[in-house]
Amino acid sequence: MGYVAVKGGQDAIANANELVEYYRLKGRTEPVRLDQVKTQFRLAIDRAMGEGSLYAPEHAALALIQVEGDSFEAAFHLRAYRTTLERRYYSEVMNTREMIVERRISSTFREIPGGQILGPTRDYSMRLLEPALLQQSLGSIDTFLEKVQGYLEPEKLHGITTFGKVIDLFQAEGIITRETQEGDNRRVVDVTREAIKFPAPRSAVLQMLARAETGGLMCMGYSTMRGFAVGHGTIGELRVGRVPLRVVDARGRRRYLGRIKVTECEMVGGAAKRRAAKRGEKNGRSSSKERPTLSVGYGLCFGQNETKAICMGMVDTALRSPDPLSPASSQEFVLHHTECVEGYGFTNHLKLPHYVTFQSELDNIRRVVKAGEQKPQAVTG
Amino acid sequence: MPGGYTGTSRTRFMTPTQYDNDYVLCECDLEPLVSLVSELEKTHGVSIVKKPTVCSTMIRTEDSLEKQEFFLGEALITECEVAVDNTAGYGLCLGEEPQRSYSIAVIDALLHREATPREVLRFLDRQRDVIDERERREFNLILRTQVDIKLMEEE
Repeated sequence: MGYVAVKGGQDAIANANELVEYYRLKGRTEPVRLDQVKTQFRLAIDRAMGEGSLYAPEHAALALIQVEGDSFEAAFHLRAYRTTLERRYYSEVMNTREMIVERRISSTFREIPGGQILGPTRDYSMRLLEPALLQQSLGSIDTFLEKVQGYLEPEKLHGITTFGKVIDLFQAEGIITRETQEGDNRRVVDVTREAIKFPAPRSAVLQMLARAETGGLMCMGYSTMRGFAVGHGTIGELRVGRVPLRVVDARGRRRYLGRIKVTECEMVGGAAKRRAAKRGEKNGRSSSKERPTLSVGYGLCFGQNETKAICMGMVDTALRSPDPLSPASSQEFVLHHTECVEGYGFTNHLKLPHYVTFQSELDNIRRVVKAGEQKPQAVTG
Repeated sequence: MPGGYTGTSRTRFMTPTQYDNDYVLCECDLEPLVSLVSELEKTHGVSIVKKPTVCSTMIRTEDSLEKQEFFLGEALITECEVAVDNTAGYGLCLGEEPQRSYSIAVIDALLHREATPREVLRFLDRQRDVIDERERREFNLILRTQVDIKLMEEE
């Protein structure tokens, strides 16, 4: 079905744009400052940057102010802004082992090298509203900050460290398998420059999952745990922290740009064992002789967004275990339907005029109804 | 701290390299950096070859097990090119930071002359210590949340 363009309403559109700004401001409260949003809404910023696929905390904060906190719109604005930037560099391959950790936990082992670090999290809070926040002032904030800083004993400060990864323990024991097979497509695809085709190489899958909408990805990840895919993975390691970013400059020198905060997750599951067994059967070998191993699903995204990284890991595992009964195992289903700007845009295009297409549909229905009425009534009984 | 601290110590930079200097210039507070460069401008001829411009870098990364490279997304950066007494300098940093990228470019040029001004070297040393202290304090606050998980049956 084709589309027919419409025009008109320019004044009404301009007035609507002004009116939405009027609604944002009509309460006549102090303007929300960029630095306030940047520092006190860091998780909303992290989510917007992840879904907007642009690491730019100030611009994400601006987007959130402008769109009154709508995470879809904020991501949309960042993606739109991103297209105006000249991409002048490709970074060196970022090494998450260099991460200055803020948080790292494992659900597979109680004791991990370097220890479990809860970091800044609300995971263990009661989720009760805190009315005392309404009384906060700069003075009370300073008192709180001094209290926290006061916990440190300057003469007993530890040096900054990086930590080994939990999957190294599995690797040392030989119980995880690299699932990449000879002949697998390892080409590094950029989905911003190349339309995705299915089956997509894993590089494209990981790039799309990294910028997927958090809620959509959680829906897919949750479905895998509820029995619509390979099963309930376990968090081998979840870490949040800052990783150095480097590029090579015009003189060919390696330059440090700063550190970006990311969340990384390795989801460990039993899928590789089943897949190995299947491969064994396919190759005419007894599945019982296949060495049982664990699979690792990988999640990595901008900022502190643990739900997203965990679900990315679960979905990565599911996507490598094709199952016609599992939506989360279908590349096309997952990647198209968790793509936030496309999904949001397509859903919201429904609000635009569809008069001609709808009239055509209505005409067809009226014609069928009329034809039915003109038919002689069948004799029954 | 429960469980004890068992991380691996990071080696402190012994001889500052281009990369280490960039680390200091990107991580230090903006105010002292701008102040230093304002002083340097008085004694050196600085001309802007390319004014601070925002652009992006695509972030390459790889998954931790299979080493499959992929693109994580882009980062907004600012770049600037200057000539200081006819020596080229390039400034690059994360974010929309025109003053910082310009300042980095000026210092980059001075670091590539035969005699780098002493105040630049002093600044780098001092700021390295300031950053180190700030980062250590933050890291030690994080370490306060290190947890020693016990099974109930061990109680």
